[in-house]
Amino acid sequence: MTALLEVGGLSKRFGGFVALDGIDLHVGAGERLGLIGPNGSGKSTLVNCISGALQNETGSVRFDGRAIDGMPAHKRTHLGLARSFQLPRPFASLSLVDNLRVPLLYTVGRRAAGRSEAGLEQRCLELLGLVGLEAQARRWPRDLSQVEMRKLELARAMAAEPKLLVADEAMAGLSHSEVEDIVRLLLRLNEQGIAIILIEHIMSAVMSFSERIAVLVSGRKIADGRPEDIVKDPEVVRAYLGQ
Amino acid sequence: MRSSTFLMVALAVAAAVFAAGLLASRSHYGYLVFAGIVVLQYIVLATAWNILGGYCGYVNFGAGAFFAMGAYAVIALERLGRNPGRWLSDTYFELLIPLLPLSLPSMVAIGGIVSGIVGLGMGYLTLRLRGVFFAIATLALAVVLHTLVVNWDFVGGSRGHTVIRPARVAVGPFSLTSIEYLFLLMLVLAVLALWVARSIERSRLGLGFASIRDDELAAEASGVPTLRLKLIATTVSGALMGMAGAPLPFYLGYTEPNTAFGLGYSVNAIAMPMIGGATTWSGPLIGAVLLGTLQQIATVTITSVWNLLIVGVLLIAFVITAPVGIVGLVREFLRTAAPTRPTSRAVGLILVAGFCFVVGALGIIFSLQAVQAGSPGKALLGGAGLVAGALGLAASWGLLKLQSWAPALACAAFFASIAVTSGNLWLAWEGVIAQSLTIALSAAAILFLQTRWVRLLYRRHPVAVPVPA
Repeated sequence: MTALLEVGGLSKRFGGFVALDGIDLHVGAGERLGLIGPNGSGKSTLVNCISGALQNETGSVRFDGRAIDGMPAHKRTHLGLARSFQLPRPFASLSLVDNLRVPLLYTVGRRAAGRSEAGLEQRCLELLGLVGLEAQARRWPRDLSQVEMRKLELARAMAAEPKLLVADEAMAGLSHSEVEDIVRLLLRLNEQGIAIILIEHIMSAVMSFSERIAVLVSGRKIADGRPEDIVKDPEVVRAYLGQ
Repeated sequence: MRSSTFLMVALAVAAAVFAAGLLASRSHYGYLVFAGIVVLQYIVLATAWNILGGYCGYVNFGAGAFFAMGAYAVIALERLGRNPGRWLSDTYFELLIPLLPLSLPSMVAIGGIVSGIVGLGMGYLTLRLRGVFFAIATLALAVVLHTLVVNWDFVGGSRGHTVIRPARVAVGPFSLTSIEYLFLLMLVLAVLALWVARSIERSRLGLGFASIRDDELAAEASGVPTLRLKLIATTVSGALMGMAGAPLPFYLGYTEPNTAFGLGYSVNAIAMPMIGGATTWSGPLIGAVLLGTLQQIATVTITSVWNLLIVGVLLIAFVITAPVGIVGLVREFLRTAAPTRPTSRAVGLILVAGFCFVVGALGIIFSLQAVQAGSPGKALLGGAGLVAGALGLAASWGLLKLQSWAPALACAAFFASIAVTSGNLWLAWEGVIAQSLTIALSAAAILFLQTRWVRLLYRRHPVAVPVPA
């Protein structure tokens, strides 16, 4: 399996605090990677460094064979690296269709110049259908429930037609059945060939979803392997349960 | 409506307004053209401010500075044009001498370019700042530019600069007075600004601007090149603000820094889009026509000292009761009262609410004049007019917000306005046409508010429609 995303020796400091310390991570095309770790272990910082919201100080990030360090976030999205946010951040003054039109026009629409207005509309509705929000297409984000907002967040990330989707705690605070809903959705996206990094606290979801799991503790990666090996790893157990 | 169709319609409206302006200018209502130029100037300024402030959500407190940049670019070019040989001989710019003096439209274009470049520079320096920090930076820029101009001797420094308007200007086969010519120029600029704003709003660029306004980080993650878009916005906005100010030296005749950099321009540029509705092209237009006209009326009837007070009070009232502005208020009303398509009932109510607002606002301004007039009869009527005006403003808000008390209050306000207007007519037989029209329209509005289908809409507890089993 060729690596789609390669993170090598990545470090990030905030003043004197070392948030990430020499992280190595790779994700293959079409792979499902779970990223877990206790609160404050640097998961979201890592996501931000990968997606370009933060710039890493040392180390390298390569995506699809290109070094993308220092590249602004929108260019990474153009390359096919999409993310969803931990707390949903919809465009509040735009309807759901327009929420999806933004990434469509600025990523895919850029490539396929002259995409017709009707075709664009059709694609928006398709994406909303994918996450089960087609009925709300003409509504505004304020009319949505929490779980629907998460779905909109995923649909918006999907609109950029990514090769890799980074889902940052897409399920935090949702009920059991809603979590299953989102996991099913993510699996369906994965079947289309999209690699997914799932950052999550809910272990049942991570275990059932991931082909491989990486564990972050205090800004360092302490384990990386198959889910059934990870839960038996003594270091991981120590980090989660204490000694 | 397609962008080209919109341009045609806007040009047709502008032509009609210009024809009306010519009629006014050549009768004894010539002042209307002077006032119209100021209102048009505000339309351009407010529309320009809105491209950055309303579409992108970046509040620019330095609108007055951009406006003045346009004015001072024209002053510099005009001074240069008077005696180009003196300034440009034996310099690299010698080749430019035959081009001078420039015509006013080309000076306006250059003023726009200068302001656009200043806007681009300001964007580069400040757009990494967000929210209140950006606003403070724009304020600082205004102070810096003001100081520069005060100390720039070529354009007159703090002494100011006098431009002598040509008596007549030939436009094609027509010969216009220079005020008519400025009116025409401002009309063209207003059409240009509105067309640019509307085209941006409906384009990919406009959608990108809206995403920046809502959430910059999410916009960036959706592939929107936020920095580049913000630079486009500051440049376009700055250029149009400069073009709004460029004709100012010719309008005023004598320009000095404190006038050109006046607080009024910055405040109005913010207040007009906020009051009209900041997310659409029509908001600044409505806000500028409304506030600009009110200020002109107040200038004539009371004193221009009241202008900023009027703007301030209205801005506070709108920020508290209708932060979405007039356009937002109407849209919300339509969403509740006529969700599928605008019905004649909804449109009628919007017209009544608008009329109520205009009667209320004008009532207050004219009553202020009457209160100060001195005669006890007039003062009493003025006091009544003030109350009626306030009732009218409250009622227009209530009508659009679907408050159950609103129709009754609106009727009361209309009755009061009929009474006050009739009183005015009885005391002094002046403005007969306008006053009778007010009476007739008020009576019609009262009748409309009494119809069953309007009362149904404002019922406190809507009757539940029985669902067939």
